[in-house]
Amino acid sequence: MFYPRWIVNFAKGPSVLRRNTAPTQGRRIPPQARLFSHSLAIRHLDAGSCNGCESEISLLSSPVYDLSRFGFSFTPSPRHADLLLVTGVVTEAMVPMIRATYDAMPAPKLVVAAGTCAIDGCVFRGAPGVIGDLERIVPVDVRISGCPPTPDDLLDGLLAAVGRQAPAAGDVG
Amino acid sequence: MEIEVGPGPYQRPSRCGFPSLRFAEEQEFAPEAFESSNPDPAVTGEGMHVVPLGPVRADVAEAMRYEMDVLGDEIHGLSLKRGYKPRGVERLMRGAEVGRALEIAERVTGTSTVAHALAFSLAVEDALGLQVDERTSLLRSALAELERLHSHLGDLASLAASTGTVAAAADLYRVRESVLRFGRHWTGHRYLRGAIAPGGWRLGLADVTSEISNFLEDVEHQFLAVRRALDHTNSFLDRLHGAGRIPAQQPLDLVGVVGRASGSTEDVRWDRPYAWYPELCAGRSPAGAAMGDAFGRYFVRCEEVQHSIAMLRRDGAASAMPSELPSIAIDGVGCGLVEAPRGRLFYRVELSKGSIATVRIRTPSSINWVAVPLAVANHNILQDLPIIDASFNLAVASLDL
Repeated sequence: MFYPRWIVNFAKGPSVLRRNTAPTQGRRIPPQARLFSHSLAIRHLDAGSCNGCESEISLLSSPVYDLSRFGFSFTPSPRHADLLLVTGVVTEAMVPMIRATYDAMPAPKLVVAAGTCAIDGCVFRGAPGVIGDLERIVPVDVRISGCPPTPDDLLDGLLAAVGRQAPAAGDVG
Repeated sequence: MEIEVGPGPYQRPSRCGFPSLRFAEEQEFAPEAFESSNPDPAVTGEGMHVVPLGPVRADVAEAMRYEMDVLGDEIHGLSLKRGYKPRGVERLMRGAEVGRALEIAERVTGTSTVAHALAFSLAVEDALGLQVDERTSLLRSALAELERLHSHLGDLASLAASTGTVAAAADLYRVRESVLRFGRHWTGHRYLRGAIAPGGWRLGLADVTSEISNFLEDVEHQFLAVRRALDHTNSFLDRLHGAGRIPAQQPLDLVGVVGRASGSTEDVRWDRPYAWYPELCAGRSPAGAAMGDAFGRYFVRCEEVQHSIAMLRRDGAASAMPSELPSIAIDGVGCGLVEAPRGRLFYRVELSKGSIATVRIRTPSSINWVAVPLAVANHNILQDLPIIDASFNLAVASLDL
């Protein structure tokens, strides 16, 4: 019997609860996150990365990972953004910009900390001028660990942030 | 209409908004420092306005602030503001053990992991008077060339994307992804982290002898196809020719791809060969171009991709076993000089009782950023900025350190 995918997914329950592994550690997925599940505008913000995370994020647009097949896209303007994707150790100099970007985004909004640096500072924890935890600046919904997180991990995390499950290998999503 | 040209960035490189580009002995991390780094507008006059950009800018880009003095569409001046992402690298390494300092060095610039690890290791080996065997040298330069390959492919892909040549960008990203996956297969990490260490290897390497020639053949075949197509795409070439030309009269002493694209022949691999480069560079000369514009940088990158593939072919790819970190508690000073994907990278390490006393790092991006304002404020319009930016593709992480 054929059922549309959304009915199947609905019957299985929230996909976030089904995820048991993954490098993504979700804290709380707001119920509104489902609003973005098939149309998500992402604003990337560098808060002191080594450019490894940027290198992997830019590969998300490549045909190998192709995040547009999920309805996701990058946007230059925080006014159009649903999700703030933060990389880097969170330096003190970037705190006002992180707050301003977050405030400029319309609610409901999501924040994803990408890379170990944004979660706990990685090897730079305790350095002068380094805060090392994005949670201290803005509320974080999903954390994606890895140094840098691979594009697969990033896709998993972004899908988890909007309450979707990553497709199995070979699935076209 | 009168336009007054002040002491702008294209006259005096020292005023490009870099307060601490010099090799200062002690650098304080003051977030305000960059706010007042360039108090005067570079160009003033009627109709002149400032287009600010950043530090949160473009789609996916590092934090840096551009302030362009624009008249109509033409950019007459650019001041850059840095200092948004200093992580205190040199300070953090002070007093650290060699292993921890190596981990930090690998994270100074993500896409130049091998170059930083190698320069650091060479400096520590120099300080301790260690010698590594031929096979280690050979594999180290193989990893360095693999890194140059993926870094240049990424730069070329973003250059193609910036000109709207998205099909070529997609192909180049795909090739780059295959290089990154090969790196993971070989060393266990896509960016080759955790491979090189002072005295030998940190985690060892897998044996890829049987696969590497097929892999290189694939990469070369796909890359040459894209390059041939791009070399015959006028809409792509038209955007590069003359865009972001670095004025020739400025004695800037640029390094790396940016330097070699504007007439310099400096390449550490040829000038001061390290690792296995005395063998690899024999019978070859560094790629070069004299134009100094975006096309020159495109051309040099393409040539170097082909060089790297040829060097990897001669290198071979054996496995390696992890070795112990040297724990000789002697004091000493050593230097490491390598050619990173973006240019000359220098480490000076002072060891004291087995740990790091001081480190000084001179990255290629910290040298080359001064050329960006000069190149941008040289008869370009606003629409050229993404192309010029992509043709330089310098790292902000290794400028702010």
